[in-house]
Amino acid sequence: MKTKLFNFLSSFVLLFAFGFSVQAQSISGTVTDDNGVPLPGATVLVEGTSNGVSTDFDGNYSINASSGDTLVFSFVGYTTQSVVAGSSATVNVSLQPDNALSEVVVTALGVKRNVKAVGYSITQVDGEELSSNKSTNAINSLQGKVAGVVVTGSAMGAKGSSRVVIRGASSLNGNNQPLYVIDGITINNDNLGAAGMWGGTDYGDGISSINPDDIESVSVLKGGAAAALYGSRASNGVILINTKSGAGAKGIGVEYNTTMQFDILNNSLVDVQTMYGQGRDGVHTTGFANRTFDSWGGKLDGSMKEQFDGVSRPYSYTGDNQDKFYRVGETYTNTISVSTANENSNTRFSATNLDNKDVTPNSSLKRNSFSVNNSNKFGDKISVDVNMKYVLEDQVGNPQMADGPGNSNWPARYFANSLDISTMTGEDGMGALADGTEFGTSENIYLTNPWWSAYKFINSSKKERFIGAVNARYDVTDYLYLRGRLGGDRYSYRKTNSTPYGTRFQPLGSINEQSRNFKQYDADAFIGTDNLQIVDDLSLTAFVGIGTNYQNMEMVSVSGGDFIVPFLINVKNTKNQSTGYNSWEKQIESVYGSAEFGFQDWAYLTVTARNDWFSTLSLKDKESPNNDLYTSASLSLVLSDVIDLGDTVSFLKLRGGYSQVAGGADSPYALSLSYGIYGQGHLGASLGTITGSTIPNSEITPFEKNETEFGFDLRMFDNKLSIDATYYDNETLGDIVGVSASQTSGYGAALANLGNISNKGIELLIKGEIMKTDDFAWNASINYTNNTSKVVATNDAGGNISIGNPRDLETGINVTHIVGEQWGALYGNSYERDSQGRIVHIMQGDIPVPKIGGKKILGFGVAPESIGLGSTFRYKDFNASILVEGKMGGSFYSGTNNWYKVYGLHKDTVPAGGREAGFTPDGVMEDGTVITTSIPMSKQEDYWSQTLNIGEENVGSADYMRLRQLSIGYNLPSSMLEGSFITNASVSLIGRNLLLLSNSSDNVDPESSYAAGNAVGLERAGLPVPRTIGLNINLKF
Amino acid sequence: MKKILLTFFALSLVLSSCEFGEGFEEMNIDPNKASQLDVSNKFASAILKTSGGRYENWRASLIYQSTMIQHLSSTAGYWSGDKYFRSDQYANALWDRYYPDVIKEIEDIRAQLTSEGNSGSEMGMLRILRVFAFTRLTDIYGDIPYSEAGQGYINGILKPKYDAQQDIYMDMLKELEAAVAQIGASTTMGSSDLIFQGNTTKWKAWGNSMMLRLAMRLTKADSATAKAWAEKAVAAGTMTSNDHIAMVQHTDGPAGINKNGHGEVWQADGNARMSKTFMDWMSDDPRLTVLAQRTSDGSTAVADLIGMPNGSDGNSIPDNSIYASLNDDLKGVDVPMVFHSYAEVRLLKAEMAFRGWSVPGDAKTHYEAGVKAAMQMLGSIYPKTAAITDAQVADYLAAKPYDAAKGWEMISEQYWAATLLNEYESFNNWRRTGYPTLTPVNYDGNVTGGTIPRRLIYPVSEQNTNGDNYGAAVARQGADNFTTRIWWDK
Repeated sequence: MKTKLFNFLSSFVLLFAFGFSVQAQSISGTVTDDNGVPLPGATVLVEGTSNGVSTDFDGNYSINASSGDTLVFSFVGYTTQSVVAGSSATVNVSLQPDNALSEVVVTALGVKRNVKAVGYSITQVDGEELSSNKSTNAINSLQGKVAGVVVTGSAMGAKGSSRVVIRGASSLNGNNQPLYVIDGITINNDNLGAAGMWGGTDYGDGISSINPDDIESVSVLKGGAAAALYGSRASNGVILINTKSGAGAKGIGVEYNTTMQFDILNNSLVDVQTMYGQGRDGVHTTGFANRTFDSWGGKLDGSMKEQFDGVSRPYSYTGDNQDKFYRVGETYTNTISVSTANENSNTRFSATNLDNKDVTPNSSLKRNSFSVNNSNKFGDKISVDVNMKYVLEDQVGNPQMADGPGNSNWPARYFANSLDISTMTGEDGMGALADGTEFGTSENIYLTNPWWSAYKFINSSKKERFIGAVNARYDVTDYLYLRGRLGGDRYSYRKTNSTPYGTRFQPLGSINEQSRNFKQYDADAFIGTDNLQIVDDLSLTAFVGIGTNYQNMEMVSVSGGDFIVPFLINVKNTKNQSTGYNSWEKQIESVYGSAEFGFQDWAYLTVTARNDWFSTLSLKDKESPNNDLYTSASLSLVLSDVIDLGDTVSFLKLRGGYSQVAGGADSPYALSLSYGIYGQGHLGASLGTITGSTIPNSEITPFEKNETEFGFDLRMFDNKLSIDATYYDNETLGDIVGVSASQTSGYGAALANLGNISNKGIELLIKGEIMKTDDFAWNASINYTNNTSKVVATNDAGGNISIGNPRDLETGINVTHIVGEQWGALYGNSYERDSQGRIVHIMQGDIPVPKIGGKKILGFGVAPESIGLGSTFRYKDFNASILVEGKMGGSFYSGTNNWYKVYGLHKDTVPAGGREAGFTPDGVMEDGTVITTSIPMSKQEDYWSQTLNIGEENVGSADYMRLRQLSIGYNLPSSMLEGSFITNASVSLIGRNLLLLSNSSDNVDPESSYAAGNAVGLERAGLPVPRTIGLNINLKF
Repeated sequence: MKKILLTFFALSLVLSSCEFGEGFEEMNIDPNKASQLDVSNKFASAILKTSGGRYENWRASLIYQSTMIQHLSSTAGYWSGDKYFRSDQYANALWDRYYPDVIKEIEDIRAQLTSEGNSGSEMGMLRILRVFAFTRLTDIYGDIPYSEAGQGYINGILKPKYDAQQDIYMDMLKELEAAVAQIGASTTMGSSDLIFQGNTTKWKAWGNSMMLRLAMRLTKADSATAKAWAEKAVAAGTMTSNDHIAMVQHTDGPAGINKNGHGEVWQADGNARMSKTFMDWMSDDPRLTVLAQRTSDGSTAVADLIGMPNGSDGNSIPDNSIYASLNDDLKGVDVPMVFHSYAEVRLLKAEMAFRGWSVPGDAKTHYEAGVKAAMQMLGSIYPKTAAITDAQVADYLAAKPYDAAKGWEMISEQYWAATLLNEYESFNNWRRTGYPTLTPVNYDGNVTGGTIPRRLIYPVSEQNTNGDNYGAAVARQGADNFTTRIWWDK
C-alpha cells in the first residue's frame, strides 16, 4: 500500500505540474486587495448569468466569458467591482475594502478562508510580532499572545525546548504538544534530549530551528473542529506557520534585518542570607572534606580561614557567585531576503545567520537558515508552490540541567557564601589543576567544579535539516480542482558528549558519538470545489482526499569509556568501546473530507470526516481495530448581516461546533514484548534480555478526543472594539496510558486504553482602538484563559498515575494524576498538623523537628489561568509596544529553595535574633504542648535537613506577572530616504522578560522548570530566566 | 450538480480501491529485536545482573551496609550508613535494580523453561539463583513481593502483594530442596553459567549451602525450623572447599555490566576508609596487610594500617588520608564478586556444633577450617593478593584458639571478617547473632536514635504504585523505618 500510495501521489503531482496542456479560451487574472495581497475565494460572476467561479488560494481565477460581458468581482468585506471584458485575456482586479470585515485566516490544509465562515476559534498572529522582538526559539514569542495557548520556555537559555499546550493537556502521559505545520507540511518537533530527574541536557526541539524572520503568519487552530483535517496528530491542536512569499513584490525587493540582543541573568530574585559562612555545627570547617556547600558555619567576621584549597582567605561574604560565573549572553541575527514577483510567479529567498553566545560560559548556538518560496502559474489552470528550508545548526556547551554531575548552575548557586567561585578557576581558568585534571571544590566528587563543567565537558551537536514541500493545483473545470501535496522534513544530527579525562567522579573519562537520521514524509491528494452555487443562496466548498504520513528514524552510536592517552578526546582512544544501533518507522494513512455549506453569505455549516489507520496499532492477529473514523460539525452565523443590531454593532458572529479526533500510539512496537542482545557478551556468553520497561498490550485501540465549543465574535463602534469569546469543553476517552505498575512487577507501567481527561474553559480576546488621530494611535488588547482540567479516569482501579518526580525523592513528591483532581497534582509529603493547623514536631535526638505527615496534594503544576495585556502606540514615526503576561493558580516545587534551606543559605534559616540566639520552631509537640525548646546554633542545620523530607515546605504558588516584551521603534520618514536606494528603514529597541512585576515565590523565577515533558511544576537549580535587551534595524531596498 | 456527483462517485471508487493500512502489521514489528531468545543468553544476563552494577553495589552494599557493619567508614556526608542518615535513593537502590532487572529476568526465564517443559538441571540452577536474589531483598527489607513479583507481563500482576518474610523463607527452603533434587549430572547452560561453568555438582553444593545459610538465619525466630533445615542441608552435602565458592568472574569491560560493581565504585569514589572497628579487630591477623593499605602512600606496614572511626566528619578528621583503605589488589573491576563462600559454610557448621545440633565434626574443627578457608580464599579470589600460607593460619589459630566458652562470639566474628565485601551477608549475620559487638555512633541528624539500623526502607514509589499492599506489609511488619526489625531479627 505504501508504495502504491506514493506512486499514485507522486504521479498526481507530476501530472499537475507538467502534464496538462493549457486551455486558453477564457479570461483569467488575479484578484487582490488594495495592498496586492491575493484574495482567495473571491467570486467572479458574468453579470446576468449563473456563470461564476471563485478565485483559488492565490487569488487566481479563470472564467469563460465573451468580449463585452461584465465581470462582477465580489468578496466579503470588499466593495464589489465590475469590469467590462475587453480583448485582453487577462483581467486583474484590486478590490477596495468596504470598511467592514475583511479578515482572511489560514485554516486547515492551508486553506485561506474568510473569518465569517469559520465555525470555531482560530487566532492568527502576524509574523512581524514574532520577528521584531525575537526569541531564539520563535515559538516562545507566542507567550501571552493567544488565549488558550500556554507556552513555557526551558530553563537552559537560548537553546532550550519549549512546551506548548493548547486548551489544557489532553493526555495523561502521552504527547500533549500541538502539531506544527509549515506551509502545509507537518514537521517533526521531537525533543532532542531533555533533562529529567537525573539531569541531562536539552538539545532543543524541532520547532526551535524555524527562523522567525521567515514567518509571515502563525495561525493557532485550538479546537478539534479546526484540527480534524490534520488527523490524529492534531489532537492537541495545530500551529500553522506560513512563511513569507514573494507575492506583492514590485520588481526585485531586498530586505535586510539585523538584531542584536543581550541576555542578562536576572538573579535579582536571589535573596539569601549573608551573615554566616562555610561550616557545620556553627563553626567553620577546614580541610578538603570541608563541606563547601554548607553555610552552617560561624558568623562571618573577616578573619583569615583556610578554605577548600588550603589557602586562607577572609571569612566574609564574597558576593553573588552566579554574577561572577555567568556572562552577558549575546545574540546577533542577520537576515537578508530578496523577493521578486511578476504576473505568473513570485519568489522569495532569504538567508539568516544567528550567532548566539549563551550566558553559561563556553555555551553557544550558531544557526544558518536558508529559505526559498516560489509560486508559479502555468497557464490559468495550474499553479505550483514550492517551499524549501535548509537549516544548519551548531550547538556547543549545552548546560547540564537538574541533577547532572556537570551541572554548573548547582555549585554556582550553592557554594557557601564565604567562598568565591572565581577562586576556583584553577590553573587554566577552566577548572583544572596543573596536571590537567579537575580542580576539586567539594568532598562530594559528583559536585563538579563549575568551570570544569562548563569548559571541559562536551555537550555539542550539529543538525542539518531540510524541509521541503510542493503544492500543486489543477483547476479541472471552473468548479472543480485537484490538489496534490508532497512534503518532507528530514534531518541528520550529530551529537558528541564527553566527560573529560581527569573528572573526579569519572577519572578516566568517557565519550559518546551519536548520529541520527530522521525522515518524515507527507503526501496528500484531494479534489474539491470552492464556492460552488448549488442553488440560489446555497454555496458549497468541499473536498475529499487521501493522505499519508510516514516517519522513520535511524540512530547509530559509538561510545568509549576510559581514555587511554590523557586529554586526547577521540572515541578510538578509549579502552572500553561499545556500539549502539536503533531504528524505527511508523505510518498513518488517511481518507478525509470536508464540506462547507454557505447560506446567503451569513450562515455556514461545515462538516468533516476522517478515517486514520495507524501502523503503531497494527499487529498480526490483533482483534481490535487499528483505525478510527471521526467527524466534526460546526456552524457560523453572521447575525449582523441579517439582523439590524443598531449602529454600535458592526459585526456579530455566533459560532459553535462539535468535533472528534482520534489518535494512535506515539511509539511503534509497543504491542508486543521483544528481546535484545546487549553489550559484547561476557566470557564467551551472550547476554540477552527483555527490552523495554512497559508491559505491552496487543489490543490497544485509538483514543478519541471529543470537543464542544461555542463562541462569538463581536465588533462594535466601527470595529474599534472587538470581543472574541469562546467556551470549550473537551474530553479524551481511552487515552493510551502507561498505567503505573509497582516496579516489583518488573516493569514501570502497563500500556492500556484507560485514561480519561476533561478540559473545559473560556478564552477571551478583547481588542480596542483606544485612540486614533493622524499623529497618534493607541491599540490595546487583553487575552485571558481559564482552563479547568480534570482527571476522570486513570485505570480500571482508579489508581494514581505518577508521571515524574524531582530528584529529591525524600520530599515524597510525585507529579501525579489523581482521579477527580486537576491534571498533574504535586502530590507529596505534608506537615503533620494538629486540629488548630499547627505543625506537629517530634524529638530527634534533643531537638524538635517537624513530623512527616501523610501524602497530600500540595498544588498543581499547571496554572489554570493566564492573561496577556498588550498595547501598541504610534506617534508620528515612532511606535512602541508592550506586553505584560501572567499566570495564576499554579504551583511548583522549588528544589532550589529546598537546597537553599538544607545548605543554610535561605533567609528562613536565620532566626530573628540570629542563629546564636537559638531557633524555636513554630508549632507543637505530639502531646499538644507548644514548643519552647530552643535549638542551639550547632543543631539548626539538623532541623532544616528534616524539612527536606517534607515536600510541602517548598511547594508554593507559581503566580507571576511579568513584562514579557517591550519595544520602541522609529520609522525613518520617507522624506529622509528620498534619493537613496533605501525605500524603508526602521530601527527599534527591544526587550524581553525585563521585569517580574509580581512573583509569589522567593529566590527563583517560577518559569525556571527543567522539564519540557509532562512532569510540570518541578524546579531545581535551573538557569534564571534572563532579561533580554536589544536593537533591531530593518532596511528595505 | 450531476457532474459533481459523478466526479465524487468516481473518486470514491478510486479511494475504495486503495487498501489502507496494508503492510502495517509488518511495519510495527521492531526490526532490531527478537520475539524470543535462547534461554542461555538470558541466564548469563540474569547472573551478571544479580552480581550487580555500580549503582546498587555502591549504595546498598557499600554506602549503607559496609559502614553500618563497620567494615568501612567515611567522612563524606553522603555515605549515609556511616552515620545512620536517611537517604531514600541509597536505601532503595537494591530494590530499584533487582526487581526491574534481576527478578523480572529470572521470572521470564522460569516461564520460558516451564513452557519448554524443562524440569532438569537448568530449572534447578535457575531456582537456586532465584532464591539467592530474593534472599538479598527480603533480608534487607523484610516482607517483600515474592510469589507475585516480576510477573507483570507473564501474569499481568501490576501490584504484587507483599509476602510475609516467614512465608518467603519457608518457600525458599522448599525451593532449594526441590531445585537441588532436579539438578542432574550435566547442563546445557555451560558457557552461560557464569558461576560454576556448568558444573552441576557445585550447583548442588551451593543449593545445599544456601539451605544451610537460610536455615541458620532463623535461629532467633524459629530455632526448631532452623535446626531441622540446617541438618537437612548438611546431610545433603554442602560446599567442600574453596573451589566451591559461588562467585561471578568479572572482566575489565567493555561495558559496566562486565565489571565488578564494587570495583567500579572504587574507581569513582575515594571516600571510603577501613573502619577502626575492623582494623583493630584485625590487628593480629595475617589478612590485615592483604586487605588494607594506608591511603596516602599505599603502605602495608602493619603500623601504618590504622582504621578510621565511624561517625567521623571533616571537622573531626581534617586529613583522612592517614587512615587505611581497602587494598588496591581487591579493588579491580575484574575481580570476582563473591555470592557465597566456603568459609561461611564451615563457620555455620561450627555454630551448629556449638548449638549441639547434628553435624559431623566438632565446633573447633569447623571453626578452624572456616578461618583457614576465609584466609586462603583471598589468594585464590584476588589474583594479585599474596596467598596466606598454612603456617600463617596455624600461627593465628594457635595465638587465638577456639574457646568454647565464647564460641558463638568467636565464630560470628570470624564470619564478619570472612564476609568483607559480601556486605549483605555480613549485615545479616550480625543482626542475627549480635556479634561482633559494635558500638553505634550517634551523629547529629541520624534517624535511628543512635542505633545501628536493622533494615533499609521501602521505596516511596511503592506508596504510590502499590499502596494497599505496601500498607498491609507495614501494618504487619511495623513502621517503615530503619529501626523496625524484620521477622527473623525479632
